[in-house]
Amino acid sequence: MNLERIPNEEKLGLSRRYYLGGFAFLPFLWLVNVLWFFREAFLKPTYTEQPQIKSYVKKSALGLIVWVAVLTTWITIFQHFRAQWGEVGDYLSFTIPLGTA
Amino acid sequence: MGFKLYDSMSRVMCVSAAAGVLSSSVEQKIYVELNETVPCVRLLNATHQIGCQSSISGDTGVLHVLETESDLDWILSSGPHPPYMVIMETAFFNRSVMMRMKNSSRVAGVAVIVSKTGLADNFSPHTTCPNQNTGVYSASYGSDLANCNVTMWNPLGNGLSYEDFAFPVFALKDENQTQVIRKCYQDHNLRVNGSAPQYPLCAMQLFSHMHAATDTVTCMRRTDLQNRFSINPEVLCDPLSDFNVWTSTRPLNNSAKGHAANESVVIAATRLDGRSFFWEQAPSAEGTVSGIVTLLATIQALSPVTQEAPPPRNIFFSFFQGEAFDYIGSSKMVYDMERNDFVIDLNNVHSMLEIGQVGLRRGRSLWMHSDPVSRQNKSVDTESAAAGLNLTVDQPSVSQPLPPSSFQRFLRVRGIPGLVLADHNTSFNNRYYESLYDDAENLNVTYPPDLSPDEQLVYETDAAKSLAEVATLVARSLYIQAGGEKKNLNNITADPKIWFLHQHVSDCVRLLWFLGSGPPQFYIGLGPRIHGPVHSVTRFVQYILANLTGTVTNLTESQCQNPSEVNTENKDLFSYFWVSGPASVNNTGEPFCRSASVRLSKAVSPAFELLEYGSPNYSIIPQSRWKSIRARIFPMLTLGVGVAVLLLSLLVTYFISSKAELLFSSARETPATTY
Repeated sequence: MNLERIPNEEKLGLSRRYYLGGFAFLPFLWLVNVLWFFREAFLKPTYTEQPQIKSYVKKSALGLIVWVAVLTTWITIFQHFRAQWGEVGDYLSFTIPLGTA
Repeated sequence: MGFKLYDSMSRVMCVSAAAGVLSSSVEQKIYVELNETVPCVRLLNATHQIGCQSSISGDTGVLHVLETESDLDWILSSGPHPPYMVIMETAFFNRSVMMRMKNSSRVAGVAVIVSKTGLADNFSPHTTCPNQNTGVYSASYGSDLANCNVTMWNPLGNGLSYEDFAFPVFALKDENQTQVIRKCYQDHNLRVNGSAPQYPLCAMQLFSHMHAATDTVTCMRRTDLQNRFSINPEVLCDPLSDFNVWTSTRPLNNSAKGHAANESVVIAATRLDGRSFFWEQAPSAEGTVSGIVTLLATIQALSPVTQEAPPPRNIFFSFFQGEAFDYIGSSKMVYDMERNDFVIDLNNVHSMLEIGQVGLRRGRSLWMHSDPVSRQNKSVDTESAAAGLNLTVDQPSVSQPLPPSSFQRFLRVRGIPGLVLADHNTSFNNRYYESLYDDAENLNVTYPPDLSPDEQLVYETDAAKSLAEVATLVARSLYIQAGGEKKNLNNITADPKIWFLHQHVSDCVRLLWFLGSGPPQFYIGLGPRIHGPVHSVTRFVQYILANLTGTVTNLTESQCQNPSEVNTENKDLFSYFWVSGPASVNNTGEPFCRSASVRLSKAVSPAFELLEYGSPNYSIIPQSRWKSIRARIFPMLTLGVGVAVLLLSLLVTYFISSKAELLFSSARETPATTY
């Protein structure tokens, strides 16, 4: 979808939908929001709806950073300590690698 | 148009078919598959993993033959092309070298050449104190005798079988294949005057990825999780299991479990299995075969006398499977007896006589081991039995414990009187205990050089004569122990030809199909096998026993398989075998039905039935599963060559596509007609 041809109110609606949707444990929506609307929010000349789009993009970026931090921390901890956790580690795992601890 | 389409399609198919054929032969041009190799696999116990493991896509390394100390330095520190795949000569397969390999990151794997040249004077990969935690001696029973404090039974043991290696270790058993490997090494990998060899080098890849890890509890838990929650469950490990073989001089009712009324039983036992460092290799001549053959000869010697002048007590013969792995078979039988799930129980047992390793007697002496803690005077009378024989029976010192034996599992539960007969006083005479090299040569089985194979079959070697004497002693002792009269003792003699069962080669004809080529291997394994649900050696012993103790019946084949329909036969007391008859010159013999009181009983550790995978009381040793095990050699080029070829081909493709009009313009003729 080419944002050039959409009226500004629809752009605002899209950005809001992506922002609100990301709260349903969908951080990729926030990632798309940031990447897709970045040019609209910060690099285009000012228009009426731009401040609101800018705020949605900023809040999406914030949420995205929080998610990335939490996931990275958890993945690092799990990969490092799964073998030591024994039974708990096995119950948490979806696929257990064969032949290694 | 249709014809052209068909034509081009058939051309395409032809080319792709040719490409298919060509591609498989390209693989054959690169890789040489090594078929006659034996891997080392992973086993687990309550706390550790032992054995070997490879990466999931195989371990690759540059070949290097380890023949001298300087080769060892080359592999471990100075060679420029790590990691190396070590082809190890027999002399270097010992603990110090293997530990150095284990601690080095430059070793991708080891292939051991199995041969007698360069073999050290002794090699036992087993531990110095076999089965120390599952015997009878513990902190609460004979604590000063536990853990081999008094006698180290296997002092030459280096414990290699119980180490954990992170690289694959294979054994090369075929001399021709080893020559192929050596030739590849000599053509490409040899150092020329101290300078490193150049690429292309000969490399080897070993695949033996094991599924199991850590310990038994983890493995069984993960298997459980897989079975419950996964769409495609992967089994990670299997408990070692097979069957014990038992028989008795008076048939026992197989459907009546628990205490057998009015039965007092003398148990004669030996073990049926062995192991080595490598999977399914266990020739175990002194460790196991000596005991099996002696007990078979004993049974043969006793059967006529027990028919004519039966002793008051029954004699129960048992061959226990899995004793190398913490007494799997005997612990299962004792467990069944305790729970009244066997034809007899422990109250029926009068005494026990076990045959240990008896093949390497020094001089005339045979040793009678007993348990110092529960010893009762004169538990088994061997003096009158030994009269007139060419051997003396001695007792070791009073405070010496029992050697590792199935009898210890019986003692754990009940203090029954018993003895273990062995050819050794303190430590084993067997210098190759539980190793690949415990074969007929270890037992000094030699023939005069000019005999044909048929003549060898009936020749009475010294080893056979020695074992026959032991068997005669055991048979007479058992007869006395069962309450038989001493005047019948002289009629009990074991036949040295039992070793090859010349007279019974008829039934053996069918058995040889089970054994395959090469000497029989006594590793317990996992149960269902290619030729049937039972290990071939177990079947072999079962059928020989049926032959020795059974009677010929005139049932038809269908009656033989369903004997309950026939009035005169009793399925509870006997089992029925349909076997082929004596082989003669003209024909292979008519098959017939033989009935014998020989049975199999399941030999799997009780811990797997109780689901106590960390149990210290029973064997908890499963064997890992794996997907594929193979080995191959190939010439190896550097990564640089591969990248260079890739870049070159990309360049050529770019060049061709940019000049496409020039190169392909001759095929196109633009129609220039205008109207």
